[in-house]
Amino acid sequence: MTTAVLDLPSTRAEAWRWADLGALSAAAALGPVAADAADHFLDLPGARLLFVGGVLDVVRSDLVGVSIEPIAAGEHALGARTAGEGWVLRVGKQATAAPVQIVHVATGGENHLPSAIVLAEDASAQVVETYVGAGWSNRFLRVELGKAARLMRAVRIVQAAGFVSLREEAVLGEAANLVTTFLGAGAAGSRIDAQITIDGDAALAEYGGALLTAGTQQQECAVRVRHDAVGGQSHQLWRAVAADRSTASLAAAVEVARHAQKTDGEQSLRGLLLNRTATVNLKPELEIFADDVKCAHGATVGELDARALFYMQSRGIPTPRATALLTRAFVADALGRIADETVRDAFEADADAWLEAAL
Amino acid sequence: MTLLNIENLHAEIDGKEILKGLSLSVNAGEVHAIMGPNGAGKSTLGYVLGGRPGYEVTAGSVTFKGQDLLALEPHERAAAGMFLGFQYPVEIPGVSNVQFLREALNAQRGNRDEKPLSGAEFLKLARGEAAKLEMDAEMLKRPVNVGFSGGEKKRNEMVQMGVIDPAFAILDETDSGLDIDALRIVGDGINRIMRAPDKAVLLITHYQRLLDYVKPDFVHVLDGGRITRTGGAELAHELEREGYAGVSA
Repeated sequence: MTTAVLDLPSTRAEAWRWADLGALSAAAALGPVAADAADHFLDLPGARLLFVGGVLDVVRSDLVGVSIEPIAAGEHALGARTAGEGWVLRVGKQATAAPVQIVHVATGGENHLPSAIVLAEDASAQVVETYVGAGWSNRFLRVELGKAARLMRAVRIVQAAGFVSLREEAVLGEAANLVTTFLGAGAAGSRIDAQITIDGDAALAEYGGALLTAGTQQQECAVRVRHDAVGGQSHQLWRAVAADRSTASLAAAVEVARHAQKTDGEQSLRGLLLNRTATVNLKPELEIFADDVKCAHGATVGELDARALFYMQSRGIPTPRATALLTRAFVADALGRIADETVRDAFEADADAWLEAAL
Repeated sequence: MTLLNIENLHAEIDGKEILKGLSLSVNAGEVHAIMGPNGAGKSTLGYVLGGRPGYEVTAGSVTFKGQDLLALEPHERAAAGMFLGFQYPVEIPGVSNVQFLREALNAQRGNRDEKPLSGAEFLKLARGEAAKLEMDAEMLKRPVNVGFSGGEKKRNEMVQMGVIDPAFAILDETDSGLDIDALRIVGDGINRIMRAPDKAVLLITHYQRLLDYVKPDFVHVLDGGRITRTGGAELAHELEREGYAGVSA
């Protein structure tokens, strides 16, 4: 299946205004690319799924508790294209799933894959995904969290070229916790597009990450969190670092329904420009219809603190290293949300590698 | 041996000339104090010697250990043995004192072709210096200067100086923001770390009080961008009594 440019959404629509659909089309048109043969799995027990060009590599995968099933992919313009078979993680009541790692290797052209994570009451799971290779990788994920279920997700987009588009739709039941951290540190364009619904009282959604862009690359997130129940919390903490002529865009919205009293919604969007030719777009959005809520939002774009740079230099640290330390500190609180040390170390190492190359 | 030699130094910021022909020579084993009214160019002198961007040298020369200081990048000046103690130490969220100082020390050692210190060696050194300056070792784990009081920041500067162990220190109003006890601790620290036959100090200060602890060999009055008078320790007392206007007149 190939995608005609005409089938794509228009950037005239507000939700797509910063989407780099040209890069997406170009990625889809890439010729075949040899599969990245490196092992991108982290040293964690549990399931390992390797998708090459969107197809499960049965020999090199170990499904442990994950199944392959048909998945209804919803109505989102890009997400809907993934309709078909995909991976599903179902965890029963009070069970803790073994960690699930998924590595997506793009091999040129376009590949589409749906997925679902369904956690029953009091169930918990940890999922780590890695995108490598070149081409257009298009994904859809549906998340359903039962009462007090807990899902920790970490997603790193480190494709060498092409485009990664993710559409995620999550519904959180009472007292459920969803913590998702993204890192965009490759050379591919990306769009992280999500709709999170706080459907049960006192649920918590932490959804954020760091997008690092260089060259002429464009990466963006477009996330909406809807509070539809009482006492919910949402934290959207995003950091963008843009070098050269690249563009990073962060659009994060919080909707609080009239009955969703005692909601605590927080957005922190910060951009760092490493060169004056780079662009960071920030769009925090609040739509609040309840009257007893706490919604804090902060949005800032700036350059590295020249005083801090000189302070470090005056102690003997050369400029590139001082810049790297300060930039790393800038994204640290976004990646610091990853609870698992092995995963966090790997993500920080990817961020460091990006800094080494960009500075 | 002459450590630092400044000749006819002119420097400007945003086209405004601040230093107007300053000359000064500092030998190993000496402590020099620079005093002067607000706006005289004291901090500018520190920043020009440290190599802060935005400070443009328009004439004159500065040699440090015989080499052209002005040709060196700020981090190379540090590696050559120069330490600039800041009047307002900078807060760096997200970078711990330990990480910052270890990076700094090992970068300097690397620049001098010395072996980097291991984590354990470094921690021992840093904890030792913190203890000598009566700073809680727990503070080493905190982000650089973040949430530190004015006095704690100055003490932290001295911990850094102790760990780095420079040949030459320019201390810009290290005494400001210190209470009496902290002033004694910092003064003792300067003497312990820097009073040696092969080292020298340039103390930039407004007040006599630090000089009660760190006895200067020379006191210079900096006014209008140049040194207008030079004397011994007694000049500081004279300044304290009569003010800059009285002494310059």
